[in-house]
Amino acid sequence: MRSLTHPRRAGRIAAVTAAGALLVSACAPSATSEADRPAKPVNTDIGAKPVTLTLLVTSGTDVPFFTALGKLFHAEHDNVTVKVTSQDYGALTTNIAHVLTGGNVPDLVRVPQFGNLVNNRLLTNLDPYAKVYGWDGWPQSQFASTRVAADGKQRGTGSLYGAGPGFGLTGVYYDKTLAQRIGMSRPPATVAEFEGLLAKAKDAGLQPIMINGKDGGTVYPLQNLLMDDAAKARAVQDWNFAKPGANINTPAMVSAATTLRRWAQDGYLPADVNTIDQTRAPAEFLKGKSVFFPSGNWQAPGLDKAGQGKVGFFLFPPGEAGGSSWAMTAAANLGIPAKSSHADVAAAFLDFVQTDPRARQDTVTLGGLVPAGPVNAAVPAAPAGSAVAATVTAFQSLLKSDGLVGFMADATASINVNTLLPQTQLLLSGKTSPTAFAAKVQGDYERDLGR
Amino acid sequence: MPTISNPPGTRRTSTTSVPPSTTTPGERPVPGEPGRRPRRAGARRWSALLWVAPAFGMYAVFVLYPLFQSVQYSFYDWDGVGTATPAGLDNWKALVTQAELLRSVEHAFVLIVFYTVLPVGLGLVAATLIRELRPGPFNTVARVVLFVPQVLPLVAAGIAWTWMYSSDGLVNQILRAFGLGAHTRDWLGDFTFALPAVGVIGVWVMLGFCTVLMLAGIGKIDPSLYEAARLDGAGRLREFLAVTLPGLRRELVVCTTFTMIAALASFDVIQISTQGGPGYQTMVPGVEIYRLTFLQQHVGQASALAVFLAVLVLVVIWPIQRLGREK
Repeated sequence: MRSLTHPRRAGRIAAVTAAGALLVSACAPSATSEADRPAKPVNTDIGAKPVTLTLLVTSGTDVPFFTALGKLFHAEHDNVTVKVTSQDYGALTTNIAHVLTGGNVPDLVRVPQFGNLVNNRLLTNLDPYAKVYGWDGWPQSQFASTRVAADGKQRGTGSLYGAGPGFGLTGVYYDKTLAQRIGMSRPPATVAEFEGLLAKAKDAGLQPIMINGKDGGTVYPLQNLLMDDAAKARAVQDWNFAKPGANINTPAMVSAATTLRRWAQDGYLPADVNTIDQTRAPAEFLKGKSVFFPSGNWQAPGLDKAGQGKVGFFLFPPGEAGGSSWAMTAAANLGIPAKSSHADVAAAFLDFVQTDPRARQDTVTLGGLVPAGPVNAAVPAAPAGSAVAATVTAFQSLLKSDGLVGFMADATASINVNTLLPQTQLLLSGKTSPTAFAAKVQGDYERDLGR
Repeated sequence: MPTISNPPGTRRTSTTSVPPSTTTPGERPVPGEPGRRPRRAGARRWSALLWVAPAFGMYAVFVLYPLFQSVQYSFYDWDGVGTATPAGLDNWKALVTQAELLRSVEHAFVLIVFYTVLPVGLGLVAATLIRELRPGPFNTVARVVLFVPQVLPLVAAGIAWTWMYSSDGLVNQILRAFGLGAHTRDWLGDFTFALPAVGVIGVWVMLGFCTVLMLAGIGKIDPSLYEAARLDGAGRLREFLAVTLPGLRRELVVCTTFTMIAALASFDVIQISTQGGPGYQTMVPGVEIYRLTFLQQHVGQASALAVFLAVLVLVVIWPIQRLGREK
């Protein structure tokens, strides 16, 4: 103990000892996931005992929307009270794993990204519910994005882990007055025809396209240009779903990126495209600043409110005349946390929001989404000639033709902010080439997936 | 068991062993750590350790252990929830091979110009000028105006500046008012100007802090020194160089240290105003670490970058601390 005669050294030794103790106590970062639990028997009868069903959704329009759905559900089952809680989208994305491992777990949670939630066994497998409620007899493309394979990574196959009231959908809005001025009598049937209209608009001194490049709106037409036929659309879907070997560094991608860059160079896109965000783009479009506005159905209620009947909507045209259209979709997915003690009630709620006519109507009017559900379900009403009505009709046709593909932006948790968004900005400002763009997107994707 | 009032000898020596404001974050003395003591009374030495224990315990649990954990995580591939797999040096290699990670570090160094060089320089000038003002309403207003940005939450400042920089924001309105309409642009969306624009926000935030600190420092300088300088016929520049600047050595060190750490570890302003865009033009390590941890759930990679950043901060701060210690 001679060394301890020096107090400073003693302190140092104490520190080293303490660190050593910590070193011993902490081995590899620990796993908190639970072991496989035997599948609980599922029941469609939710009983008569009072139950509070807690929902955790994203802040914003989700809150009044799900509150309204909760009221409808309560009217049907008066022993169930639906409590809606919310977190900001970004916060929920970052917190969801910890919320689901914690002690106060909601009964239904809006799942922004599956990430490792399935791998870590934090969500309930919904296959048994799909069977008892008959979801497995509905058009299955609506469930593709919420199926996760046994490896926990690949989507589009495997067991069902989420379902929800409705879907987003992309396409192209157009200003009916301006479209008439450039001689557009019907929506373009091919990409080439669409490009012809863009050129006409430019010649007429109009801004052809308004789009938000600051927060990723420019990725939509890129993906649409990429999916100009069935085979290419399937390739993109495989890529989105992390199918082994999926590759997007293809001639099709290079050609799509080349086209989009040419649109920017020819002035079809606004000169300051990279600085326009998703609030400014629809506002400028409504002011008559452009003929076309490629975006999604979540914009439709707002566009209708500002100018009923002024705005039309068509699906992005296919490459060849007569081919079917493809559109990007994302579901408002709700999952049942593995720790929820009211899984049966939660599943009953999920079935209700997909099938009840009033709930489906709310999905359109309050949620700005299109409901899917069974093939013979009533299509919610929307005022004739409105943009909302056009998106609802388009969605029904896509559901039948299996024309719904997920967003490339959802392929991995960070592909949008880290790769697609900055790379598209570089592409449109001529700071990267289409070939480098395609290679970079694929490279980052593989890195994200750990391939 | 000695009482709280230690023998006088202890108190005297402890002041010499713990010099104020010249310690680096890495070797901050544990509060209450005893200084050099006569070699006797083993019992007292042990009881001294006892006094240190609570503070050291907190320091160990909330600083040392997390630091150790970060280093440990950096050698694993872990999503923060599931099972971790050893990753060897992969996370560290990625720091060198992934261009974006290195570029983000480069941007942090560019930010030093805006967070440190400009605020410290301008702060010196402002403090010198304010010193010459007579105490009164104008003097007070000048101090308050300069210090207010320091009081605002950075997130609020970031949002306000985003509005000012937008296409029809205040900055462009002013340019148009002066007939410089050709130079208007969306500052935060411009590949060339985004990083400097973000930097200016940093200048605005840091300037108040530096000015107030320097003012306090100037207040401590013996007025007779200024008087002597004047009597010797020194001009204002000479006076500044011979009296003010040497007298502010400590304040300068604190300002530089604080603002450099703020530059290298910047996060909030960038996250709010540009999220690293356009392209990767304003990406900084802070935002990168946040995304790696919470978005990509690559806790290992994030830890490697965080540890690297911490070491980098120490390496940059070290020479400045040495400079401040010289007599």
